[in-house]
Amino acid sequence: MATDDVTGRGDRLGRRSGFPLWPGRRGRRLRTAVIGAVLAGYAWAAGAATPLTTTALVFVLIPGVVLAVIAYAWPPERIPAPNRLDITGMFWWVIAVAALFEWEASAYKDNSLPWHPSLTDLINPLIGPHILRSVAILLWIMVGWALVRR
Amino acid sequence: MSTRAITIAGFAIVIVAFFVLEFLARRPGSRIPTLGQWLGYLMRPRIGRVLILLGWWWLGWHYFAR
Repeated sequence: MATDDVTGRGDRLGRRSGFPLWPGRRGRRLRTAVIGAVLAGYAWAAGAATPLTTTALVFVLIPGVVLAVIAYAWPPERIPAPNRLDITGMFWWVIAVAALFEWEASAYKDNSLPWHPSLTDLINPLIGPHILRSVAILLWIMVGWALVRR
Repeated sequence: MSTRAITIAGFAIVIVAFFVLEFLARRPGSRIPTLGQWLGYLMRPRIGRVLILLGWWWLGWHYFAR
């Protein structure tokens, strides 16, 4: 038929014919995979560091310094922020954040007694196992990167 | 219900509220900004950007280094 050589919607012409239809896509995937592997390895190593040691401090300092340098010297393309916020809509967030701070502050004021534990007292046992601690560190780094892009 | 359970429930309610607000904010036409939008708004001036990033770093130090 005359339409035999017309590519359909699901065809992958670039892959079959030997030239890249989207030249940058494979490179970006590779770069993302490499960065992901490096970050996962870093988080795994950082998760093994004993708290209250210089090693643990250095493992936390490095992402901070790296992201600060990137944000200052090589800022990535930023996601545009809104010019204004709806006051009524924002009010709900203010209530939630204030409630969190108030609850945490009251626990802190009570010296984190067992009957009124602070968020730290509750989270620390959760991130005790190495794997969970590493995942938490990886998430923390990803949040940092998301903030740099804002 | 022990006071410890009440405290934990308080934190859980607030954290669930964060997720609910984020969900509501992502609905079309919502007046509630998403977490990213209002953080981005706060980070528009340089001082806001520095303070938010410092807060992020402090969280890492607080939970992973001490």
